[in-house]
Amino acid sequence: MIWVSWREQRTETLIAVGILAVVALLLVPTGIEMARAYDHDGIAACLGAQPSFGCGDAVRSFQDRFNQISNLLGWLTLLPGIVGVLLAAPFIAQFESGAYRLDWTQSITRRRWIAGKLGLSLGVAVLISVAFIALVTWWRTPLVHLNGRMESSVFDSEGIVAVGYTLFALAVALAVGVVWRRAVAALIVAFMAYFAVRLFVDVWLRQRLTPPLSATWPARKDELAVLRHAWVISERPSDRFGNAVVLRIGDCPDGNLKACFAAHAPGYIHAVYEPASRFWAMQLVEFGLFAGIAVALIAFSAWWIDRRA
Amino acid sequence: MTAAIRTERLGKRYGSTWALRDCTLEVPAGSVTALVGPNGAGKTTLLQLAIGLIRPTAGEVRVLDCAPRADAAALLPRVGFVAQDHPLHRSFSVAEMLKLGRCLNPTWDEEAARARLARLGIPLDRKVGKLSGGQQAQVALTLALAKCPELLILDEPVASLDPLARREFMNTVMEVVSETQLTVVLSSHIVADLERVCDHLVILSQARTLVAAPIDEVLAGHRLLTGPRADVTAVARFHEVIRESHTERQTSLLVHANGQVYDACWEVHEVDLEEIVLAYLGYGAPLELREAVAS
Amino acid sequence: MIQFHLERSGVPAYLQLVQQVRQAIRLGMLRPGDQLPTVKEVVGTLTINPNTVLHAYRQLDLEGLIEGRRGVGTFVAAGAAPPPSDERKELRSALQRWLTRARAAGLDDDAIAMLFSDTLRPPAVSRVA
Repeated sequence: MIWVSWREQRTETLIAVGILAVVALLLVPTGIEMARAYDHDGIAACLGAQPSFGCGDAVRSFQDRFNQISNLLGWLTLLPGIVGVLLAAPFIAQFESGAYRLDWTQSITRRRWIAGKLGLSLGVAVLISVAFIALVTWWRTPLVHLNGRMESSVFDSEGIVAVGYTLFALAVALAVGVVWRRAVAALIVAFMAYFAVRLFVDVWLRQRLTPPLSATWPARKDELAVLRHAWVISERPSDRFGNAVVLRIGDCPDGNLKACFAAHAPGYIHAVYEPASRFWAMQLVEFGLFAGIAVALIAFSAWWIDRRA
Repeated sequence: MTAAIRTERLGKRYGSTWALRDCTLEVPAGSVTALVGPNGAGKTTLLQLAIGLIRPTAGEVRVLDCAPRADAAALLPRVGFVAQDHPLHRSFSVAEMLKLGRCLNPTWDEEAARARLARLGIPLDRKVGKLSGGQQAQVALTLALAKCPELLILDEPVASLDPLARREFMNTVMEVVSETQLTVVLSSHIVADLERVCDHLVILSQARTLVAAPIDEVLAGHRLLTGPRADVTAVARFHEVIRESHTERQTSLLVHANGQVYDACWEVHEVDLEEIVLAYLGYGAPLELREAVAS
Repeated sequence: MIQFHLERSGVPAYLQLVQQVRQAIRLGMLRPGDQLPTVKEVVGTLTINPNTVLHAYRQLDLEGLIEGRRGVGTFVAAGAAPPPSDERKELRSALQRWLTRARAAGLDDDAIAMLFSDTLRPPAVSRVA
């Protein structure tokens, strides 16, 4: 059954691996370049306790050089969706074409067939997403040293959440496909659902899954230590207790806004944030969410195939 | 076990439509049974219920004394099945299709399968999608036969094939039947070819079973009566009238004769299988009779 | 070895095979000891149900025309061929004379054939296709 499962999804697996290979080809050269620049320009030293005089400029020029590519990497967040949906395709295609009637009238039971094929698809999905995470994490190491990894577009390709995303996309495609039995349409719908859910989680749900912390500090002072490498959800002027200060129009004409705040009223800043120490907790929560939905959808798909036809 | 397939008031409903209804029949072991009827009569439904691809809504089916779904693990190795339009994995090569069969079946005769394909001139390294229709049908048949089944179920196996491919396909089946005790059930809406190959007949129409009997019996038991235009009640009292048609001067009746037809008013003719099947399916009959047969 | 063929006449398939063997023996094309094709071979040539062949061979066995030898095959029986008798020669010349009369009376070949088959098999039962 293993050979049969593999052979029936060989093409799609190779395409998914190919996509990953192309991404690797694009990332590896710049990754090496960035790592070299990081060492060569002494950025590491700049992050220590006693930054030297030229550090500010060095860091700034380093960031200018590589931030653009880093922003482009934001698009890679679609890759788990593409891979997941792709790996579901052969399964659905068998139902659309009727070829499942051949497999089901050999001597294997329906349950073993489902288990074998699903097992292999899930295994491949996990392997490819882990490789993807490893690649992107490696590439981003210098920038993570500088900026942390809590930022939205960075968070979702570090840690383990991308595995959850891939499994989720796979599961949604399966669930739609076994009910609808139209491969191309199901894959498109599934990808759109993946996109919508990801957007929803990124923009709204993530910060509510783990209620964020808040801090208020005098505007005069430097940013608090806890905010270093944190995900700052909002930051606004406030009074000593953290209540918002509303500036009227005309209060602050052009010029130094900070000085203006300091001059005006209470002169504090209030921030809502998730600290860097919460990285793994949030990763696990989000992974659990996506993987949990995936498991439920896969169980549904398996039940549907076994009972309905 | 004398019946390879036995159904008891078997029925399958999709939504509010019955695809098969109240079907009670037996397919004798060792027979080559033809399952005929127009499209939509329930032939595919019946065969899929027998192999366990779908589940009955009503009644029961037993295949080789097993329940198709509950005993699937025990039954499937003993039954070969070729679904309608002989599904295969188009991107597989022929050799890979054999490997699939080898992996998924406990009993598998690889040499016989390869020998048969070689005899038919089907190359093992060709992709299935690139084969002709007739060759694909032969590959599907080879797969079903290589597991050395006791029962072979073929759903419209030759519907899309040209006459030569049709002949070659049935030839392969007949050769295997002559070598083993294989029971064959094949469904078809082309009756003409069936008389020389099959020895048992089941007629399905509108989800109902109209006939289930050995072909010899069917041929011996049906007669065409012709004569001057007359009332049929007298005849109908003794023999079952399947189809009656009248012109101004002549009446002809196709009857299921209950013994010999002794009535001197009628000229008695034997009828061939295709005419009998068509009569049961309502061809050539006045509308009222067709509806009566259908309900 | 005899080559079988099937026609779409009203005659059942097994009977056609029986008649072809009988005819072959009568004409001397099959002689005692000659082997008949195996069931599988006949099935391979004609694509018919093996039971039909078995039925035909059983019938011929009953008539004493053939015999099966276990593990070897089916063969024409020893006493199968009717010896050419004087009676036959008599009948043949009588038939020749009758044919001359029929032709003189104006019957063509078809009419002669119909007259003969009607007399051989009365018309009450005839196949409709």
